[in-house]
Amino acid sequence: MKTSTALAAALAACLASALPQMASAQDYKIGVSAGLTGYAATVDRAWRDGVELAAAAVNAKGGVMGRKIQVIVEDNRSEPQESVTVYRKMLSSDKVDVFVSGCVSAGNFAAAGLLLRAKVPMMLCSILPQLAEHLPWAFTTLPPAGFEVDKRLEFLKEKTQIRKIAVLHDPTPYANLQKTVAERNAAKYGLEIVSIEQYKQDDADLSVQISKARSAGAGAILKIGLGGTTLTAAKNIKQLGADMLLLTSLEDLAVFGPVAEVLGDKFFFVASPSQVYEALPNGPLKTSIKAFLDPWREKYRDRDPNWASRGWDGVMLTVAAVEQAKSFEGEKLRAAFEELKGFQGTTGVYNFRPDLHQGITDNPFVLATIQNGAVKVVQ
Amino acid sequence: MADWSYIPQVLVSGLGIGCVYGLIGIGFCVIYNASGIVNFAQGAFVMLGGMITQTLFSRHGLPLPVAALAAVAAVAALGVAIERIVVRPLWNRKATMFVMILATLAAQIVIERLTLIAVGDQPKTLPVFTDLPPLMIGSVAIGTQFLWIVGGSLAIVALLAAFFALTRTGKAMRACSINREAAALQGIPVSRMLALAFALSAALGAIAGILITPTQYTAFNVGVPFAISGFIAAIVGGFGRPFGAFLGGLLLGLMQALAIVVFGAGLKTVAALSVLLLFLFIRPSGILGAAK
Repeated sequence: MKTSTALAAALAACLASALPQMASAQDYKIGVSAGLTGYAATVDRAWRDGVELAAAAVNAKGGVMGRKIQVIVEDNRSEPQESVTVYRKMLSSDKVDVFVSGCVSAGNFAAAGLLLRAKVPMMLCSILPQLAEHLPWAFTTLPPAGFEVDKRLEFLKEKTQIRKIAVLHDPTPYANLQKTVAERNAAKYGLEIVSIEQYKQDDADLSVQISKARSAGAGAILKIGLGGTTLTAAKNIKQLGADMLLLTSLEDLAVFGPVAEVLGDKFFFVASPSQVYEALPNGPLKTSIKAFLDPWREKYRDRDPNWASRGWDGVMLTVAAVEQAKSFEGEKLRAAFEELKGFQGTTGVYNFRPDLHQGITDNPFVLATIQNGAVKVVQ
Repeated sequence: MADWSYIPQVLVSGLGIGCVYGLIGIGFCVIYNASGIVNFAQGAFVMLGGMITQTLFSRHGLPLPVAALAAVAAVAALGVAIERIVVRPLWNRKATMFVMILATLAAQIVIERLTLIAVGDQPKTLPVFTDLPPLMIGSVAIGTQFLWIVGGSLAIVALLAAFFALTRTGKAMRACSINREAAALQGIPVSRMLALAFALSAALGAIAGILITPTQYTAFNVGVPFAISGFIAAIVGGFGRPFGAFLGGLLLGLMQALAIVVFGAGLKTVAALSVLLLFLFIRPSGILGAAK
């Protein structure tokens, strides 16, 4: 008798534990392909955390059209091949409804065909896929690559006497795009690019590239790319005794702190609005950032908010599109994304159109430096 | 006309990173000689050397030399732990070499992930050991950390040579590398030598990590590229030849630096390895010839 009672209790416990699983079948599933390891680990882990924070915030208010958001994250190891595998897994096994994926551009490109066939839209951290046929299903929170470049060229023209510059970039599609923009726009700012050098994200030494740039007469280096190599570049510039400015693309503030200690007033970086929140004037942008930054700081304290804030935007844009479409269906969601206008996010105002899937059209970036440990806007 | 005045500077950079590759390569050789195993956890030792030093220095406020010594000791102890927990059980069961190599690779991944959990994913760095402006020789800048890397590496190579030539333990390790069975018959505790080899190899990896971190950054995932370069250095030098591995590291560092100049960084590894491959066609057993 006791045995059968125990068995019944165990069965009941099993059923009870299965209930939430059954309920979760009604969840709205957001898939995240992110480089949790590999060169993009720092940014994509932050992106993932921003996505999860936003999902929790939406769920706390009852979810989206009555359904809770479930976030499914897979590590693509910052590799295109692995990205295809994880996208396929999330589509076929997890039955993901929409993707809000990280910053590994090549990985998102590689998987774009899968999503096209599955009719599942993706909101990205990275640049958009390069093939025209893939574009209808891809949207991005990333401002145009030229914005990051132009902000630095503008600063060099207006605030320095430097007219010869070097570009140091990693081999990712986004970095190559920025390099191309720099080549195209430098002359507009009266600048000459005298050296273009590539590096790999796991390079332990960049002094060869920096020596070449110095030898070519460059007075400043535009570094384009993610990861700890900014620190390597700064250290190498100092070891070489090179009198050069280092102006880096968007990156984690945690990387910039030690870089500023090495290069002092010769170091500048492109910053997103959330990274300079305290310096922003009151207004819709600051209010929008605050909605994200309050729970972010509560959970992660002084961790850099940049990538996470766009992950937050990715989820909030998706929620807005679902509510606008009044549907969870992929095709309708895709159409709703294309019609999203005037959405105030943490990085700026998003205005999508059928022919424009990169929603931010006004340059939201500032150029900043770090003085006495505090971020200061200079441009 | 092309300006090649920076080539000497490039060679200096290549020598600096080559010394680090060389130290890691020696680590591979020391374990290989004692056991016949290629230890792919070598990269984790490099990463941990820099990471533990950084943590003790920045988070716990220890003076840099104390933090560095503690890191070397901790990583050496970890080397022994890997030998006892991962390698020894397989060794005792006479597992094939491939299984043991795979086990060290698994150990590398486990260490990497545990580091990620412990200290996070943010890149970290150490200050240069001597914060002075670079020494200028003509147009060539010699950073103070470069002097530490080269000087430290040469000192370690000399100490290792003395250790293997002059001490009983060193001679016993050499005996194990020549013939383990014969060494055991002579009363040499072969298994203890294996543990010692792991400790020594781990310490060398940690020292390489501590020397290089002030010139770049360290993070949980920096170990594997160093391990690959150190492995190549060991092969080029003649696998099992510690001094050969050091020369192999220098050659690899120089080749990579020159390859960046000629072909660009994207083809750096391809170009450097192509040249080294050609070299191995001419001299398959490496610079000094394989140990066995």
